[in-house]
Amino acid sequence: MVYELGVKYLKVWQPNGFPSPINIAKTLEILLVDHTLGIAVLTSIMRLAIGYGISLVFGFLFALIMLRFKALQENLSPLLLGLQTLPNVCWVPLAVLWFGLRESTIIFVVVIGSTFAITLAVESGVKNVKSIYLRAAQTMGAKGLKTYQDVALPAALPEIINGMKQGWAFAWRGLISGEMLMQVKGLGEILIVGKEKADINQIMAIMVVIIVLGLMVNKLVFERVEANIRYRWGLD
Amino acid sequence: MSLILDGVGKRFITKHRVVHTLENVTLEINQGEFLCLLGPSGCGKSTLLNIAAGLEKPTTGKVYFKEKEITEAGPDRAVMFQEAALFPWLNVIDNVEFAMRMSGMPKKERKEKALQVLKMVHLTEFQDSFIHELSGGMRQRVALARALTMNADLLLMDEPFAALDSQSKNILQMELQQIWWDTKKTIIFVTHDVKEAVLLADRVIVMAANPGRIKKEIKVQLARPRCLESLDTVYVEAQIMRELKNEVEKVAKAEYDSDWDLEKDTILLGPDHYLGIGL
Repeated sequence: MVYELGVKYLKVWQPNGFPSPINIAKTLEILLVDHTLGIAVLTSIMRLAIGYGISLVFGFLFALIMLRFKALQENLSPLLLGLQTLPNVCWVPLAVLWFGLRESTIIFVVVIGSTFAITLAVESGVKNVKSIYLRAAQTMGAKGLKTYQDVALPAALPEIINGMKQGWAFAWRGLISGEMLMQVKGLGEILIVGKEKADINQIMAIMVVIIVLGLMVNKLVFERVEANIRYRWGLD
Repeated sequence: MSLILDGVGKRFITKHRVVHTLENVTLEINQGEFLCLLGPSGCGKSTLLNIAAGLEKPTTGKVYFKEKEITEAGPDRAVMFQEAALFPWLNVIDNVEFAMRMSGMPKKERKEKALQVLKMVHLTEFQDSFIHELSGGMRQRVALARALTMNADLLLMDEPFAALDSQSKNILQMELQQIWWDTKKTIIFVTHDVKEAVLLADRVIVMAANPGRIKKEIKVQLARPRCLESLDTVYVEAQIMRELKNEVEKVAKAEYDSDWDLEKDTILLGPDHYLGIGL
């Protein structure tokens, strides 16, 4: 309704610059019927899942190594922060030269984008754990890895979840920019094809799909975990 | 002999000066004894407890527990802190089971033991609650239950009831007396509350500050179970108060201006004060 008002009566928007929701829906339907959208979503999600999974493993691993060795922590923290400010897209050319136009290139871009967000969150989360928890655990015979597994990580979980969310957002960015620049099958490719065809409907349709997918994962995964934490810790 | 402190001293080096928190403390604690460390704030009683727990290292001297020197914290000595230090991500029963999980006890045994100690502190109905749902007194009872599961002969308590309201405090003191009686554990209890010390202890160690040291040792030879209102506890209290008064004043003097004096400030002089007008 807002759209109709803007385009037809107030004439502030141009119909070829701002497609109507109905047209977007029609484009979506076309993309769905010829299976381009379904295949693109599936391949993109697959890459994302693999890339984000690797990021989680490396992110936690790096953080634990940094926490274990103080010297590493002092030297690497600024470097990681610096890498964080580097947009994901910047890695694409490098990745293409390293890996060629292959699946692993995109996954590399996804991983490099989201790993450090997770590392930094785990590291600062564990560092901020109240010392009384660690002392209490010590007197109860918790040692070494067990202290991390049963005390430090659960205590830092609220902060870690935030980092994981951030990592997830970065992973999406890496994925789409990789797909757009390399033009392999995926959501980013359809988006760039839309640009080449000057089809505003297609561009908007893909943007909507990306937003909806992002929201769904947030709703189904992160929000549930967060709600559970808030309930346990009594933060509501 | 359960725990032996041999010439224990502790220095903290800060930016401006060296603080002697403890100096040459020698103390022997018998098996099954209830010992209270009593003193003004800053006399190093908590530090002494942490050293016995193995959470801090003494600068000089040695600590022996059952003929073995203490070098680190371990599950053979249970510790209770002023704040309950329960884990908010676990519910009550998982918190109580934590120490047993660390020692690798099988699940079924753990659960049984946890329920058994929760029964001792009368909290079985709250086993599935989370920590934020409990009151301060209940949290300390969970912490006590957790400490009791560890099968440690020595229980170190660092002002565990100090942050509670006085009603919960009284109830917990009575419960602790009973539990100590039932379990026959050795307990070292840090407090600044004279009443509490007299009520619970077999032996009260009065400590002095700057540097922290043992000032006097007082045996409390009263029948158990003791209660706060009885005359004999009040009598012993007064006796300990006299010992403590100088110390309190000394510590306070360091914090007030130099013209301050405890005696002068407690009596209202002068005809303008209308003493007793409200009677």
